[in-house]
Amino acid sequence: MNTKDKVLEILENTTDSAEVRNNLDINIFDEGLLDSMGSIQLILELQNELGIDIPISEFERSEWATPNLIIAKVESMI
Amino acid sequence: MIKNVIKQIDMVATSDPTRIVYNNLGETNTYQQLKEKSDALASHIIELDLDKKSPIMVYGNQKFEMLVAFMGSVKAGHAYIPIDSHSPAERLEEIQNIAKPAACIAIAELPEIELSVPVISHTKLVEIIENGQGTVAPDPSLQVQGNDNFYIIFTSGTTGQPKGVQISHDNLISYVNWMIDDFSLPERPNILSQAPYSFDLSVMDVYPALTMGGQLSVLPQEVTDNFKVLFQTLPTLDLQVWVSTPSFMDICLLEPTFDADHLPDLSRFLFCGEELTHKTASALKKRFPMAKIFNTYGPTEATVAVSSVEITNDILEAYPRLPIGYSKADTKMTVVNSKNEVVPNGDEGELIIIGPSVSKGYINNPDKTASAFFEMDGGNAYRTGDAATISSDGMLLYRGRIDFQVKLHGYRIELEEVDHHVSSAPYVKQAITIPKYDKDHKVSQLIAYVVQKEHPFDRDIELTAAIKKDMAETTMSYMIPQKFVYVDALPLTQNGKIDRKKLINEVNA
Repeated sequence: MNTKDKVLEILENTTDSAEVRNNLDINIFDEGLLDSMGSIQLILELQNELGIDIPISEFERSEWATPNLIIAKVESMI
Repeated sequence: MIKNVIKQIDMVATSDPTRIVYNNLGETNTYQQLKEKSDALASHIIELDLDKKSPIMVYGNQKFEMLVAFMGSVKAGHAYIPIDSHSPAERLEEIQNIAKPAACIAIAELPEIELSVPVISHTKLVEIIENGQGTVAPDPSLQVQGNDNFYIIFTSGTTGQPKGVQISHDNLISYVNWMIDDFSLPERPNILSQAPYSFDLSVMDVYPALTMGGQLSVLPQEVTDNFKVLFQTLPTLDLQVWVSTPSFMDICLLEPTFDADHLPDLSRFLFCGEELTHKTASALKKRFPMAKIFNTYGPTEATVAVSSVEITNDILEAYPRLPIGYSKADTKMTVVNSKNEVVPNGDEGELIIIGPSVSKGYINNPDKTASAFFEMDGGNAYRTGDAATISSDGMLLYRGRIDFQVKLHGYRIELEEVDHHVSSAPYVKQAITIPKYDKDHKVSQLIAYVVQKEHPFDRDIELTAAIKKDMAETTMSYMIPQKFVYVDALPLTQNGKIDRKKLINEVNA
């Protein structure tokens, strides 16, 4: 599975929503798909599943707001 | 000992007018501003000649004007009902129908909704305050006092209707004096104000800070949600006292620089709202070895909290599951069996709270009031629905709920209320809500088990999105289940009721 599919699978699980796969530019925070506890879960799963390190103090929400942004961000960290 | 909350706060304004009361990310307000603005608002409210017994809804998020509205209301003799600006329109309507308020002060813009009471908008409020500058303080005999309601906070109700807990001035006095006496707070403490005002955890920061001439350092939700900004902001607040749910602390502990080296003034941690786990407390104790960490316990119905214990290294060593502490001096806590008889120390039963901070009951809801509140040993008593044991020296241990109420990240939720909202959504024939627990006995998510009706969607996940979207119109966001599972039928008990316990056991096996 490539990084994009893996990220989308994790996102689909943490948001319990298909929207993240149908619309890669959907704002997951504005749409209420993810709250702050959900963001923590997303960070932890991305770290565990993809072996990357996401320091919480560098989690600027606007940089993680859409599936496309998250994929790009994760790809840059691998 | 404080005798009057309003007088106490106004005294700070008189003796030290320029002292900062509210620091919202560098935007500050003084005690004098709080007094003058709330006096002006109170004078205006008094002129409106509203029904004295009716409360005032105050709608908004963390803004200084919220404090002005709270104090303005109680100075005019009206209790206030804090309502968070994230609440859906239907929730506002429900609260209006139940509480029958006399007015609504909307600091934030109201959602599309027809309120049947006069609304004081933010613009109007600013005008009232400006026109009222320098007027004489309103007659103190009109203020909320004694057994009058001071605030009313709405919590989840089992029938899908929220319940309004009435907290009187005397309830609040009992609570505030305990906070001042028993937690060795610094003088004029700088206290974290993070919880929304609609959540009574906020009372744990607001009234100790205000009555002690301290400062509220505000972390608005936009900041707590954006972790980068959160961890940039925290060291700038010079906090001395931390008040939050354990869940919020778990987020903060993920940041390695959240420690005594980087936050040297922070010396007190107060937790309430949900179970403080051993894991969270011991991690925090390592980061702040010199700080005092308090676990507190209490339902909204007994004014925020009624028992506490300092979590020392000895306590961490002695208790794998942390105790909820000893009752405050003016309160008795006792454990009873199903026949309402007090059980011997060490036996499990339902925890009863008797004392001056126990509420008079739910507003305009005599049935629910009668089933939860009663008189015992000459005091007001409240049946908590919490299972507990008590040791011979009075230490209380929490053992879970005896009904289907849960705490999710500090929010109190009746599973029956969630059932009601899910079942009312389109495409849903029948539904039941199941809490999933993590290994520390805390609820980590709510799962809805749903029997679906016909629907146009190809995938479950699209159906879920449609149900969630519909629920967002009627339901507080924290009550919307994180996961939806679709089944052909729900398991039934021998009596033909949906067998929630069976599903709870399956989910948590």
